[in-house]
Amino acid sequence: MTAHRNLGFVAAAATLLAAAPLSAIFLRWTWLIEAAIVVAVVAGAAALSRLARAPLWGQLIAMLAGLTLGLTWVFPGGTELLAFLPTPSTFAHFGDLLGASMQDMRTYSVKVDDVDSLLFLTVLGVGGVAVLVDVLSVGLRRPALAGLPMLAIYSVPVAVYVDDVPATPFVVGACGFLWLLVTDNVDRVRRFGRRFTGEGRDVDVWEASPLAAAGRRLAVVGVALAVALPLAVPGMTSGLLNAAGNGTGDGNGRPGQGNSGRIDLFAALSGQLKQSTVTELVKVTTNEPAPFYLRFGVADDLRPNGFRDRTPTGRAVNQALTDPTERAGVERQRYRATVEVSKSLNMPLLPVYAQPVKTEDLGRSWRYDTSLQVIFSDRENSRGKRYSFDYVRSTYSPSALRAARSLPTDDPLRRQQTATPGAPAVDQLVRQLVKGKQNDYDKVRAIYDYFSVENGFTYSLSTRDGTSGEDITDFLSTKAGFCQQYAGAMAWLVRAAGIPARVAFGFTNGTRSSGGTYVLTNQNLHAWTEVYFGSGIGWVPFDATPAASVPGSVRSAWAPDTEAPEEATPSTGGAAAPDGADASAGPNSPDRLDKDADQGLSVGDGGPTQQSPVWPWWVAGALALLVLLAVPALRRSALRRRRRVRVAAPPATALAAIPGQRGEVRDIVVGVDADRARADAHAAWDELLDTLVDFQVRVDRTETPRATAERLVQETLTEDAGAVTGVRLLGRAEERARYARDPLAGEELHPALRSVRGALAARADRRTRIMAALLPPSVLLRWRTTVSERSARLVTAGGEVRQRLLRWSPRRLLAGRPAR
Amino acid sequence: MTQQTWDEVGGLLPHDEFRAASEAIVANIEQVIEGKTATVRLALAVLLAEGHLLIEDVPGVGKTKLAKALARSIDCSVRRIQFTPDLLPSDVTGVSVYNQETHDFEFRPGAVFANLVVGDEINRASPKTQSALLECMEERQVTVDGVTYQLQTPFMVIATQNPIEMEGTYPLPEAQRDRFTARIAMGYPDAGAELAMLDGHGATDPLTELRPVSDAATVRQLIGHVRQVHVADAVKQYAIDLVTATREAPDLRLGASPRATLQLLRTARAVAALEGRDYVLPDDLQALAVPVLAHRIIPTADAQLARRTTDAIVAELVHRLPLPNDRKRSPYDTRPGGTGRGPYEPRRP
Repeated sequence: MTAHRNLGFVAAAATLLAAAPLSAIFLRWTWLIEAAIVVAVVAGAAALSRLARAPLWGQLIAMLAGLTLGLTWVFPGGTELLAFLPTPSTFAHFGDLLGASMQDMRTYSVKVDDVDSLLFLTVLGVGGVAVLVDVLSVGLRRPALAGLPMLAIYSVPVAVYVDDVPATPFVVGACGFLWLLVTDNVDRVRRFGRRFTGEGRDVDVWEASPLAAAGRRLAVVGVALAVALPLAVPGMTSGLLNAAGNGTGDGNGRPGQGNSGRIDLFAALSGQLKQSTVTELVKVTTNEPAPFYLRFGVADDLRPNGFRDRTPTGRAVNQALTDPTERAGVERQRYRATVEVSKSLNMPLLPVYAQPVKTEDLGRSWRYDTSLQVIFSDRENSRGKRYSFDYVRSTYSPSALRAARSLPTDDPLRRQQTATPGAPAVDQLVRQLVKGKQNDYDKVRAIYDYFSVENGFTYSLSTRDGTSGEDITDFLSTKAGFCQQYAGAMAWLVRAAGIPARVAFGFTNGTRSSGGTYVLTNQNLHAWTEVYFGSGIGWVPFDATPAASVPGSVRSAWAPDTEAPEEATPSTGGAAAPDGADASAGPNSPDRLDKDADQGLSVGDGGPTQQSPVWPWWVAGALALLVLLAVPALRRSALRRRRRVRVAAPPATALAAIPGQRGEVRDIVVGVDADRARADAHAAWDELLDTLVDFQVRVDRTETPRATAERLVQETLTEDAGAVTGVRLLGRAEERARYARDPLAGEELHPALRSVRGALAARADRRTRIMAALLPPSVLLRWRTTVSERSARLVTAGGEVRQRLLRWSPRRLLAGRPAR
Repeated sequence: MTQQTWDEVGGLLPHDEFRAASEAIVANIEQVIEGKTATVRLALAVLLAEGHLLIEDVPGVGKTKLAKALARSIDCSVRRIQFTPDLLPSDVTGVSVYNQETHDFEFRPGAVFANLVVGDEINRASPKTQSALLECMEERQVTVDGVTYQLQTPFMVIATQNPIEMEGTYPLPEAQRDRFTARIAMGYPDAGAELAMLDGHGATDPLTELRPVSDAATVRQLIGHVRQVHVADAVKQYAIDLVTATREAPDLRLGASPRATLQLLRTARAVAALEGRDYVLPDDLQALAVPVLAHRIIPTADAQLARRTTDAIVAELVHRLPLPNDRKRSPYDTRPGGTGRGPYEPRRP
């Protein structure tokens, strides 16, 4: 019982520790005090019920009762008996609180002040988790399962904090969980009555039980796997690992990977454009004949390090959206579009045409930011979504834009959207460009026209990412970049001219499949500039990127293609279309896109190569692999050649005759020649053994050369007379080289070796022959033996070091304590 | 009695002469013992290795016949002792008797004063009598009443015995067993040999017609030749490894003695010489391990309970012991289910 009581309190404390991540939600610590009170009441109720030897369901009821009493005392409704006994009206009060909390959750943003309803929800949740943890760890003795409800608490800040969740509270919670596990296991071990070490020998108290070694190994393997697996799986690079890995954001991640409402759209864009594979992201069907770009994000926060997107705010999309008002010179037409997002596009933003006025098939969690004109969500993401919306397409006549008044300098929008960190070179360029221009449109057009090919700008994907002041200056001087630099630079320049501008993100029109359906891939991702015009006109898109370099690019009457002669391109005939839909397809009509689709983004005129080709890497990799695979075979053939040189060398023929002890004459091979003959025999024999291993004939270290030769004769080389003679000769030569006074001399070992090898090869099956040629087992075996020997030596050394270190183990101090 | 010390044995014989002499002896014995060439050669090898031979087998397989045939093939002094339970040590070594004529004690040499001593049924005598052979077999001398008498050269004891499980036998003490260089078993003859035996032995005992083909001097020369056989360091190391393995084997209570190492190598020399080689091979040691080592070792109680004979234990040791790495050898051991020294397991076709 003592152990149970102990475990119960540990469970309660662990629950409170696991609640630590909630500190990220609340401004103050009131929630913790209240949760502690309720958890304490729950734990007390559990302990009391266990003292009364209540069954598990009894304990559960007691804890739930304790939870109710605690909640009643902490959140009184005013009608309680003795301040803690709930009445029906108390529960009604709880219901109200719960309802209010649902509302407040949407209303408040983190960190929240002490709101009663949210506090109630928190305390109720923590109390509920405390009950679950107690039941699981004490009642069912499954403390590992108790980790799940604890993890549930952690999921709350994870869901709220879309960017990042502080790690420390999680560590605190994890420590609580570990404490619970340890307490449970200590309790379990103590029930044995004595230390169980698994080995026959006595283990000192200070020494870790040998049984624990398996656990330690498992833990190490588990942690290693847990860390290595996400690194190995492509795409799982967000979160902690990514933050640790690179500070600049993922270079090739999909847009909006993770559940973030704010994403680095620039990084995502360039990453997608530079990808060699083409992934279908969106399929959109519209009844608009020549739609402008599908749009999903905006970056309008210009910091020294470039344009950044802000956290959007707004109302739910299923409420009525504002319909833009009619203005003179602005043609507005209502169309309808259906978007199917593929599973590859995963971001908290939805691509729509500007400007949506009515949406269908979208839940309450999707909201619309009227100023940014984006649809976003904190909870859902675009993956696999399918939705329809009505939108109003505005087309502007240059004269109307020209007539638009500038915003007053104290207008908050102008103040906010014209701020630039300041770059002297840029400012000077802008001054030069807008000199003499009277109205905003002319200024914008001057800047827009500046990014033309005539001015030396070329499209290139191989430039550095970024829209910081430095990047923009670089771009303006190198004049090579892609859409994000064009869009960023133009927005910057327009801002510098005192006109609000921002960068919009979306898709070009991609490939038109049938009717009004466009298939948009990652290669169609695009960025362009939006400029704000007064007089109620609003944000007007300008795409400064050379149309020829962007598949599916669209030009408009107010922002014509700078490369094409104005109003002269065949398809700008659309500009003269009777309906006045000026937003017409540029030279990059879908027909032409079909041609370019396979190449991804085509290279602009004379532009540098955007993508270094991939195949050299593949070829290099394949070559490296081949070389790697060929290493054993090469090693084997080198070995064979070396031995053949030995064996094939002229045999020692210089025989000397010396008188024997008793007068008879003994022929011996002397000196160098004897050594030579010995070495030759050894080389031949080694080669034979290697050959045997290669052809998977067993080799036995306990066999003498003679026995090996005889076994081969008996078992393997029975039919081949030449090989039989050969192997016997080799055996005899090796035997004499090893054991006799004089080695065998004057025999040709190499032909014997060759005949044996031939016989072995003839006998082996095809697979063995191929393996012997390509991956000779003898070489692999030798390497493996070397590795295993080295590692064995290492392990031995490690064991010695450990033994020496154990002498300093602090657990020795426990030796005085009697073992339990 | 001409005494000749062991250092005076004959020197190196020309190769052919050695071969002729040894083959003659073997062929001669084989007139009597059909189809047992290996056993006969081993017996001769023990003689040439200056050792003593213990022939152990069930009754009636020709133990005594082999002993007598070997003795008769060599023209030298042969004595036979029939060991019986009432045999006394003095019957073996000799005794001093009082000569009334000279009024003095006079030494009457026992049966061991001969070149070849055939001790039949040696385990039927009491251990007391068996022990009388201890000194003469190892030191080749007899000490009676404080006087030491040298034995002749060559000197060889060929003893036969029944397996110790047989009735009426006294097992030889370990010290006595250790003095025998080799223990061989005759084994039953195969069918053809047994038929030939029936034909040949039907009328007369071929033993009586056996004529000596060699003499003591020749044998001394042969022994001298055997001593010259080359033993490489690796082979010596292998012999030491083998004997050490018996001392370390978990199945054995008593391993082989250093004397065993010595006799193993000597016998191996003799075997090598008989095969016409002037160097010893590990193969010789492997072949000799069971005859030379098995009778000296004592298995543990567990091994005995498991009915593991010493022969089987030694054979397994030989099978498991790798050859010494006299130089940097390749690390191969690819026997399936072997000692696990080699990591390579070949695929069986």
